Amino acid sequence: MPLIEIESVTKDYGEGRGNFDVSLSIEKGEVFGFVGTNGAGKTTLIRQMMGFLKSDKGHIRINGLDAWSQSADIKKLVGYVPGEIAFPDAPTGTEFLRRQAELLGLTDMTYADYVTAKLQLDPTANLKRMSKGMKQKTAIVAAFMADSEILIMDEPTTGLDPLMRAEFVDILTDEKAKGKTMFMSSHMFEEVEDTCDKVALIKDGRIIAVKSTLEIRHNQDKVYKVEFTSAEDYKLFLAEAFEYSEQREDQNQVLVNVHDRDIDRFLHVLKDYHIKFITEIKYSLEKYFKSLY
Amino acid sequence: MFSKTIFKQTLKSNWKLWAVFTGIMAVMSALVIAVFDRKMISSMMNMVKNMPGIADIIGDRMDSMTSVLGLLGQSFYSLQGIILGLIFVIMTANSLVASQVDKGSMAYLLSTPIKRSKVVRTQALYLISSVLCMFLIVTSVGLVTVQVAHHGLWAEEYTADVKAAAQVLDLSDETVAGDLTLILADDDAVTSGAEARGIDKDVYTTYLGLKMAENAGVEQPGIPADQMEKIQASFMAGITAAAEVLDVDASDLATDMGKIKNSDAAMTAAVDASGLPKELFVTIVNGQLANDELTLDQGIEFSVKDYLLLNLGAFLLLFALSSISFLFSCVFNLSKNSLMLGAGIPIAFFLFQIMSQVGSSLEDFKYVSLNTLFAPGDITGGGTFWPQFAVLAALGVVLYTVGVEVFKEKDLPL
Repeated sequence: MPLIEIESVTKDYGEGRGNFDVSLSIEKGEVFGFVGTNGAGKTTLIRQMMGFLKSDKGHIRINGLDAWSQSADIKKLVGYVPGEIAFPDAPTGTEFLRRQAELLGLTDMTYADYVTAKLQLDPTANLKRMSKGMKQKTAIVAAFMADSEILIMDEPTTGLDPLMRAEFVDILTDEKAKGKTMFMSSHMFEEVEDTCDKVALIKDGRIIAVKSTLEIRHNQDKVYKVEFTSAEDYKLFLAEAFEYSEQREDQNQVLVNVHDRDIDRFLHVLKDYHIKFITEIKYSLEKYFKSLY
Repeated sequence: MFSKTIFKQTLKSNWKLWAVFTGIMAVMSALVIAVFDRKMISSMMNMVKNMPGIADIIGDRMDSMTSVLGLLGQSFYSLQGIILGLIFVIMTANSLVASQVDKGSMAYLLSTPIKRSKVVRTQALYLISSVLCMFLIVTSVGLVTVQVAHHGLWAEEYTADVKAAAQVLDLSDETVAGDLTLILADDDAVTSGAEARGIDKDVYTTYLGLKMAENAGVEQPGIPADQMEKIQASFMAGITAAAEVLDVDASDLATDMGKIKNSDAAMTAAVDASGLPKELFVTIVNGQLANDELTLDQGIEFSVKDYLLLNLGAFLLLFALSSISFLFSCVFNLSKNSLMLGAGIPIAFFLFQIMSQVGSSLEDFKYVSLNTLFAPGDITGGGTFWPQFAVLAALGVVLYTVGVEVFKEKDLPL
């Protein structure tokens, strides 16, 4: 049984906002990415998972518990990074984390200290005067400190600089190695492609596709861009038996789809032409999802 | 049912506001009690009575102001205490729920294994107990002030003269207070009683007579009105003449007639000017002074029970008003909406109450104000108030319960 089970969930805000008939299942130990543009319904689904919103239809079960009616029990297993960073009234980050630990019934702060150090956060600063990035780090520490089995994160990397983003990905990798299940939303494809096992794309409140990033990374249908030195070669090459996805006559460029089993034949054919350069166009999650839009 | 941890944290971030409001309220009520002076209030009342416009506005309330509790009821427990308490309640109710949902910081409370219902019940508990503690402190400070500023007379059932006389007579205070003729029968007792009151023996004897009549519930036999008027006119002429001799204002002298008795010259001038026999004139002066003593007794009569009831009533009113603010704080996700109704309705109630008291044409406004259910005058003046208290308490309980239920079931944008 999947650890997180989302079954045809609908939350209709009217005028096409909300989400509709969303079904996802996340296995234990999986890192699940949830991508979509702003307003696509990512945060709504996360709020439904956290039991903040009541679904109109369908149900969400986390570890077999209902996300709405048994929400408090679920929280024992879940760490949460909210999409909007607004802290309760506390003078400093340290005090906020201490109070949060108190609410979670947490007495051991070693893990919190570890994450704090990893993110190079100085939590003794005044909470209200913190920069966006520092606030985000504080929120991440608050979510991770209980060492919960499940982490639900709503755009956790907003406000982090590229270096800190890398540190954060490091932490996620560590967590994954420990067998944690993670669900994170993002509007950045590269980010989820680097960290997640599976990625779901949501558009206008509906799930368009769920794709394993392994499939993307180990894709055998590759695309090569070739530019020829002369227009004659370019024209001659077009007569060969390959699949051309794009032809750019003015640049003498062609995009060729080649499966790995044909790569030998492809190189042999190319040997007889004068070419300026050849490059592989990396197949990415972004490309895949854009093709579905 | 409640979360101790959340209560502690809520207390930590809200106690300062509570302390400021409680402090101001305690000082205000203590000031009203401390500055209370029966004589000053009486002369103020006499002044006001001569101004028909103002007298009309103040109306019935005038008489009730002549005791500490009456004054408190008409000032602190009608205006300052209620409005300050209300502002505190409005601010706190909004910051406990709606503002945290609006900001999004409620997410941190609700991402812990503490049930939503427990979170909101704890916030309600904080609001109720903060208002309760507020009035406990105001009440305690008030009681201490009465004790200190009015020489603890509130706690003693016997006035100073009774005690002094009882000592002379070698009887218990209770016996003497129960039968004042015991003092009258003994010249030494009269002397020490008069001394204890700081008045002369003649006035004291007159006072005792009036006091006994009052205790027995007997009306003084009145002098026919036309005769009374004539005597009063002559008497006032005497006072005016005495005032000239003493070089003071006639009106000042009228409220402090002891001065005439202390000056032979003034007395002679007064008797001459009034054309009344000296004996009659002295009797009238004695009667006035004795009457003053009698009203002083009333002024310092301080019923602890009534004072506690006054505070209980104010607490129940604020409890009911806080339930309105709390309900809307639970209903709305935006501070501005929560405040619109959660502050707007209680403030409207307060204003309607004030308007209803301004003139009889606006009196009907009292029917649309919750504040009408707490009428200090009914508590100090022996009216009915328990049913109103019950309504306030019941309304508060219902609205708090509804607020908690709404919050439990609603969608939160966190």
